Amino acid sequence: MSESWLPAFVAAARSVGLNYGFLLNAFERAAWIDGVVVSIELSALGIVSSLIVGMVIAAALTSGRPYLDRPARAFVELVRNTPTLVQIFCAFFVVNMLISQALGGPQNNPLTAYAWVVIVLSLHYGAYHAEALRAGIEAVPRAMRESAVSLGFSRREILTHVELPLAVRFAWPSLVNNMVDLVKATSLGSAIAVGEVTYASLMIWVNGDNVLELMIFILLVYAALTLLVAGLGTLVENRLRMPGYGQ
Amino acid sequence: MSESNASPERPPLVRLSQVHLSFGSNHVLKGIDLRVRQGDAVSIIGPSGSGKSTILRCINGLLTPERGEVVVGGTPVHSLRTEAERIALRKRIGFVFQQYNLFPHLTVLQNIVLAPTRILGLERETAEREARELLAKVRLADKDDAYPGQLSGGQQQRVAIARALAMRPDLVLFDEVTSALDPETVGEVLSVIRQLVEDGMTCLLVTHEMRFAEEVSHEIVFTEGGEIVEHGTPRDIFHAPRNPRTHAFINALRN
Amino acid sequence: MASEDILTLKTSPSPRVLPRIPSIVLWIGAVALAWLVLAHFYRDTMSTLWAWAPLLAGGLRMNVLISVLAIAIGTVLGAIVGALELSRGRWIGAPAKAYVQVFRNAPILVLIFFATYVFPFEIRFGSTYLPFPDWIKATIGLALPASAHIAEIFRGAILSITSAQWEASASLGLSRSQTLRWVILPQCVKRVLPPWMNLYAMITMSTTLASLVGVTELLESAKNATNTVNRTDFTIIIYLAVLTLFFLYCYPITRFTARLERKYAFH
Repeated sequence: MSESWLPAFVAAARSVGLNYGFLLNAFERAAWIDGVVVSIELSALGIVSSLIVGMVIAAALTSGRPYLDRPARAFVELVRNTPTLVQIFCAFFVVNMLISQALGGPQNNPLTAYAWVVIVLSLHYGAYHAEALRAGIEAVPRAMRESAVSLGFSRREILTHVELPLAVRFAWPSLVNNMVDLVKATSLGSAIAVGEVTYASLMIWVNGDNVLELMIFILLVYAALTLLVAGLGTLVENRLRMPGYGQ
Repeated sequence: MSESNASPERPPLVRLSQVHLSFGSNHVLKGIDLRVRQGDAVSIIGPSGSGKSTILRCINGLLTPERGEVVVGGTPVHSLRTEAERIALRKRIGFVFQQYNLFPHLTVLQNIVLAPTRILGLERETAEREARELLAKVRLADKDDAYPGQLSGGQQQRVAIARALAMRPDLVLFDEVTSALDPETVGEVLSVIRQLVEDGMTCLLVTHEMRFAEEVSHEIVFTEGGEIVEHGTPRDIFHAPRNPRTHAFINALRN
Repeated sequence: MASEDILTLKTSPSPRVLPRIPSIVLWIGAVALAWLVLAHFYRDTMSTLWAWAPLLAGGLRMNVLISVLAIAIGTVLGAIVGALELSRGRWIGAPAKAYVQVFRNAPILVLIFFATYVFPFEIRFGSTYLPFPDWIKATIGLALPASAHIAEIFRGAILSITSAQWEASASLGLSRSQTLRWVILPQCVKRVLPPWMNLYAMITMSTTLASLVGVTELLESAKNATNTVNRTDFTIIIYLAVLTLFFLYCYPITRFTARLERKYAFH
C-alpha cells in the first residue's frame, strides 16, 4: 500500500479540525483495515448462508405438512419478535456455554464468537428470507399453476419450473432489503468482541479523542457495503426481469 | 362442411355420462351427457355460469365429478386417483385458457418447449424444431425470443395454442379463448383454431363467438343452469332450435 | 372434494379437527405452559429468578421508556423531514433526502455510539449545567433512524393518494381543508399506521443496543445478574426470560399490524 498520500490526507483533515492521526500508526491502521475485512467476510458469509437457511425454511413453510410448517412458523415468529442482540447473547452466552460444558471446557469448543455471529445472522435473516419467499410463492397466480397442471406437470415440477422462478422474482426486492439489513447487523458482532469495523474503531477511539472521525469512516464503510449489496441486487433483478410483465 | 365427416359410426373420443358436480351448495353440473367424436369440433354455448368451463375441467381432471363418468380415449377420468394417472391423461389433452396463462419468466420458445422436454422427454433440438413449426403455423415465427409480456393478447393466445399443440395432444380444449382479447385480435386467434379444425384436430370449445361456432363446429351443445338443454348440428341449433330455452337464448343474441 | 389439491397451496392443514383458536392465544398459551413446566422442574432456579425480578422489571421499564420517547421524537422529526422532502425547493428537498438516506442506511448501533460519544455528558443552560444521561443519548440514537423511516412512511403515504382524489373531492364541492380532513388524512392514517407500528416494534427491539453503551435496560440487567449469580441454570433461565418478555411485548404488536394490513389491503 502506497503510504505517501496518507500523511497528506491526515494533514489536510487536521486543517479542518479532524484528527485522523491513527492512520499514521501502523498498528492501529492495520487493526482498523482488519476490521473492514472482517465486516466484509461476515456480510458475505451471512448473505450466502442466510439464503440457504431461508430456502429451507420457506420449503418447510409451504410444504403443507404440519410437522414441518408448524415448527418453521414458530421459529420465524420467534426470530422476528425478539431483538437480534438478545439472540446473539443467547447463542453466545447460553448455547455456546452449554456446548463448551458438554465438550469438557471452552478449549475443546471449535465455535468462536465469529462463528456465532455468522450462525445467528444466518438464522435470523434466513427467517426473514423465508417469509419473503413464502409470500412470493403464494403470489404465484392460481391460473399459472392450473396451466402447468394442464400441461402434465407434477407438483415438484411445478415448484421447480414455475413457482420458484416466479417466487424468487416476486421476493427479490425483499431479499435484497434483508441482505442490506444483514450487512448493517454485522455491527452487532462488536457486542461479543468480534473484531469487525465497529469494534476495531471502538478499540481505537478509546485510546484517542477521535470518535467523530472514526464515526465518519464507519458510516462510509457501511454505506459502501450496503450500496454494493443493493447494486448487485439491482444487477440480478435486471437479469431476472420478465419483459413486459407487471408494468 | 358440417355434416361431411360427422358419420355416427366413429367411436367417441370423449364421453361424459350423468356428470354431477357441486361447489358447496352450488350445484354446477346436473347430469351432463356429452360425446365428442374423433376429429370433430364441438362448441359449448350458453349463458355465463351455466357450467361450460367446469365441463372442460372435468375432462382433463382438474376437477373430479361427484357422480357420473368421464371417459377420454378409453381412460376413465372420473376414477383416476393418483397424480401420475392424471398426468398421463393431461399429456394427451391440450388446454387453452381464457387468460392465456403463459409463464411470464420464459420466452415464447421456452414456454413451448418446457413441457415437451420435461414431461415427454423429447430431445431439446427436436422440441425446438417442432416449436418453431408450430410458431409458423400460428403465424408468430419471428416472436420466438419475445417474452409473453411483450406480446398482444391475441399473440399470447396463439402462443398458448402452440404450447398446447406441442404436447401432440389427441384433443384440445378451448376455454373462452377470445373473451379476454381486444376485438381486433379475436380474428387472428379464431383463424388459427379454424385451421386446426380443418386439419382434423378434435376440439371442444367453450365460446361466445356464435358466428364462429356456427361456421366451424360439427356439433353445438347448448347448456343452461348446469344442464345440456339441446345439442345438434349448427344449422339445427341456430336456425331450428326445438327447445324454447335455446330459442330464447339464440333470439336474445340476434337482437 | 371437488377441486383437486394440487392447485391449492397447502399452507395450513385443511381438515380442522379443533375449533379455530386465534394463533396469538395459542402462542401466549404455549409460552405460559413452557414457563409453568420450567417452574415445576427448576424450583430453585425460578426462585433465584424471582429474587431478581424487580431488577429485571426496572430494566424493562427503561426499554419501554426509551422506545416510547424515541418513537415520539422520531414521529415529530420524521413528519417535518417528510414534508421537507416533498417541498419543491431544491435547497430544502435535497438535504432532507440526504438526512433520510444517511440515517436509514446507517447501522443503529453505530448511531447509538455516535449519540453517546459525540454529545457532551452535560449541557450548559446559562449558568446551570443539566446532566445529559446516557439513556437519553441512546434515545436520540434511536430517534434518528426512526425519524428517517417515518419520513419515508409519510412521504409514501402522501404520494400514494392520487390527485384524482383531490379532483373528485373538489367536484363534490369540498373545500381544500375539508378534502384534507375527510378524504386525504383518513386514507393517510390507514397507510401509515401498519408500517408505523412495525417500526415501533423494531425500535423496541433495538433498545437492547443501549446496553452496549452502559444503559441498564433489561438485557444489561440480565447480564449483570448472570455475572453475579454465575450459575449455568440461572444463566439459561434468565436469557429465556429476556427472550420471552420481548416476545410477549412485540408479538402482539406485529400480529395486530398484520391484521390491519390485511384489513386495509382492500381499501
